[in-house]
Amino acid sequence: MTEDRPLPLPLRIAGMALLAAAGAVTGGLVARFVDAGGLPPDDALNLFIAVVLVAMAVVSGVVLTLRPSRSPKGCGVLQVVAMALAGIMLMIPLYATRWVSSELAFALVLALLAVQTVANLMLWRRADEMLRRIMVETGGLAFWTLQLALFLYAAGERLGLTGGVTAWGMIGVLMAVYLVASAVVAARRGIK
Amino acid sequence: MNNRLKVLRAERDWSQAELADRLGVSRQTVNALETGRYDPSLPLAFKIARVFGQPIEAIFTED
Repeated sequence: MTEDRPLPLPLRIAGMALLAAAGAVTGGLVARFVDAGGLPPDDALNLFIAVVLVAMAVVSGVVLTLRPSRSPKGCGVLQVVAMALAGIMLMIPLYATRWVSSELAFALVLALLAVQTVANLMLWRRADEMLRRIMVETGGLAFWTLQLALFLYAAGERLGLTGGVTAWGMIGVLMAVYLVASAVVAARRGIK
Repeated sequence: MNNRLKVLRAERDWSQAELADRLGVSRQTVNALETGRYDPSLPLAFKIARVFGQPIEAIFTED
């Protein structure tokens, strides 16, 4: 039988070393060019999520090139595009106004959001049933978690016990919860 | 739910990727089916039965 064996151990170790090196380079570059310590917490969180998303898109792109059968046909590229665009869209409000006006930056976010929405719809249409199930379960788990958190926060705010989280901070929390939810749901199906 | 996918695939000397192609799903989905991490929908179960030329109940059994 032509068995689909996992990669040989040396190759797996080399892959992990490569990923670790890529992580170190990414962290080093971010630390070199960004004064994360001087950022407000909501900006720091969104920057962290943005870097994670872009890094994941790059790694997924490499994996897709090496092992194309890991995703349903046509889905891998769309997943990479959706992740990369999500990361870039989180970075635009942080840095784009250094070079362009707020209005132009917002227009850029809108344009990228439209492209990402199309990519996500195409991904849904091309996905096989397990990938769709993973997407649905991720959405459900993330919604349930965020609903609980938002209710607690809202109740605390009404009681004058909490406050100060901006919409920008909330989207950072939402993205973080979504990423964790997607990792948990995918791991349950044996996808690492 | 238990299934005999891995055995049936082995009997035909198919790789997971080959079976995935025949079923129109990803190799990851075949792997998840074989390891019991994912139960297929009814349409996919019928397709699996067709591909292996066996009735569904000969491939899938309850726990």
